[in-house]
Amino acid sequence: MNVTTIFILHGLVYAGLLFLVSSGLTLVFGMMNVLNFAHASFYMLAAYFSYSLLTWTGNFWLSLAFCPFLLFVIGAVIERFLLRRVHVLGHVHELLLTFGIAFIISEVIKWVWGTAPLPMEIKGFLDGSVNLFGVIYPIYRLFVLFCSILIGLLMTVLLLKTRMGITVRSAVDDSEMVNALGVNTPRVFMFVFALGAALSGLAGVISGPLLSTNTGMATAILVDAFVVIVIGGFGSLIGAVVASLMIGQLQSFGALLFPKFSLALIYLLMAIVLIAKPSGLFGEKK
Amino acid sequence: MKKDSKSIRIGTFVILLVLFSFPFLARPHQISLLTEIIIFSLYAVSYNLLLGFGGLLSFGHGMFLGVGAFTTGAMLQRIPGLPFFGYVFLGTLMATLIGLGVGCLLLRHKGAYYALLTLAFNALFYAIAIKWHAVTGGDDGLPVKRPNLHLGFVQLPMSDVTVFYYVTLVVIGCAVLFCWYFTKTAMGKTVLLLRENEERMQFIGYNPGVSRMILFSLTAFFAGLAGSFYALFFKFVGVDAIGIDMTTTALLMTFIGGTKDFFGPVLGAGFYIYFQNYLSNITDRWPLFMGILFVLMVLFAPRGLSGLIRSLVELFRKTGNGKATRKEDDILGE
Repeated sequence: MNVTTIFILHGLVYAGLLFLVSSGLTLVFGMMNVLNFAHASFYMLAAYFSYSLLTWTGNFWLSLAFCPFLLFVIGAVIERFLLRRVHVLGHVHELLLTFGIAFIISEVIKWVWGTAPLPMEIKGFLDGSVNLFGVIYPIYRLFVLFCSILIGLLMTVLLLKTRMGITVRSAVDDSEMVNALGVNTPRVFMFVFALGAALSGLAGVISGPLLSTNTGMATAILVDAFVVIVIGGFGSLIGAVVASLMIGQLQSFGALLFPKFSLALIYLLMAIVLIAKPSGLFGEKK
Repeated sequence: MKKDSKSIRIGTFVILLVLFSFPFLARPHQISLLTEIIIFSLYAVSYNLLLGFGGLLSFGHGMFLGVGAFTTGAMLQRIPGLPFFGYVFLGTLMATLIGLGVGCLLLRHKGAYYALLTLAFNALFYAIAIKWHAVTGGDDGLPVKRPNLHLGFVQLPMSDVTVFYYVTLVVIGCAVLFCWYFTKTAMGKTVLLLRENEERMQFIGYNPGVSRMILFSLTAFFAGLAGSFYALFFKFVGVDAIGIDMTTTALLMTFIGGTKDFFGPVLGAGFYIYFQNYLSNITDRWPLFMGILFVLMVLFAPRGLSGLIRSLVELFRKTGNGKATRKEDDILGE
């Protein structure tokens, strides 16, 4: 019983991280029709920034506030000065560009921080454990879960209740029409792209002490986020939530029950969804 | 017009002469470098059949090279005593079968979805290579011993750099030429037209999914062949052979060389391997330079090196004739 509770919690925590990464990815895809291969690199970059900031100042809250902001700026610059340039060249070039950026970011990280995994320690009250449903569970993991739920709720409010959110949602549906109605869609694109980068950055910062900070972390979460998008459906936020939860639990219990095949389980689920409903659980057929 | 086809014939003759006389002029290190370039040329050319020719951006090409390499490596350990081409055949066959299987799942998709799924499948095969320790050797990789080639009553020692070079040149060279021939066949034209106007092809009665699947398995076949020779060339197969980085290599080579010309990827493979060899002596971070070059090319020279060379040739010719021949040379239209 205790073990089950722990693994359910583990799965939820990973689902939270996955949601933070894949929600930005799916929104950007829905709006701009660009699959951003560099998205997970933002996550990795933020984790490394946070590592440096932590060793320098020792203040986790500072890096939690500063790194996503930095990634927001980086994301905006990449969208404005690189992605927008190649838009006219067509779809393949946009994918190639984001892929090239991901490649460069990962090489720069190897250059600056080296290839060895960097351990990150968390101090203060986050370091302890707490008794929850009869199990002793680290506070930090609960904090990660709390952060992702908070961001999820904030995003829901932003998307459903504000004018900005209405614009974004309608741009996901039909960006040309929104543009024709007089909204500056390029600016909305830039904002959403940067916001996605910031969310990914936030996930990177909080994942640092949880998983180790290493050069393979971007590819690992990128592949999982892609699977989330395939299962949940392109451009669907609710799909991202549900699929993240599924993948989180599957990964957690897969590691417990079949340690050798935990990864294959995720692909099996993806293959089933692909065959049964190619547009994803919540995706619309276009 | 006539002058042009003559110069192409002379050019081909010179290139063949250089390729075949190269071992007499060069040092073993250079011969081995050229062998590597030839192997990766096939890999890049097969990738360009998807990217430049079919308009399909795949991020899973590394898995075919890897499957070919691992199958050849594992078979050499498990079933010793087969002829040289038996191992090459098994590696290639396995890659083709995997290509067919994955192609079946992908057949309805294209664009970003296609790119994403191929990447996911590549990650799956990478994970298998790491986890399936008994066959692939996991992180340690597989040592490979080159079997000798028996031709009737002559036995060719494959451990010799020059002999291996000639075998590679003939086999891989034929495969590259076959790829070129494929672009001229009816099937090749179908794929090309699918890229241009899929709806119209559907109305005429073609099945785009099936054509795409055939193309996908064909490129898997050639990448598997390249992978088989990759294993024999390095005398070792590690998980690097099947990773995402291997896919990136194909993409960089192809794009830097130029996707619009058939022989662009060959140029790219040569450039990539040569500079990798040159830069890795100076710095460990040579992929960074490749990445920056790649992004610059995406931004400013989307036709790659071959496109740049074409523009240069145009500049020197500056006649109406030059423009007409350019159109004809350009296999991919536009």
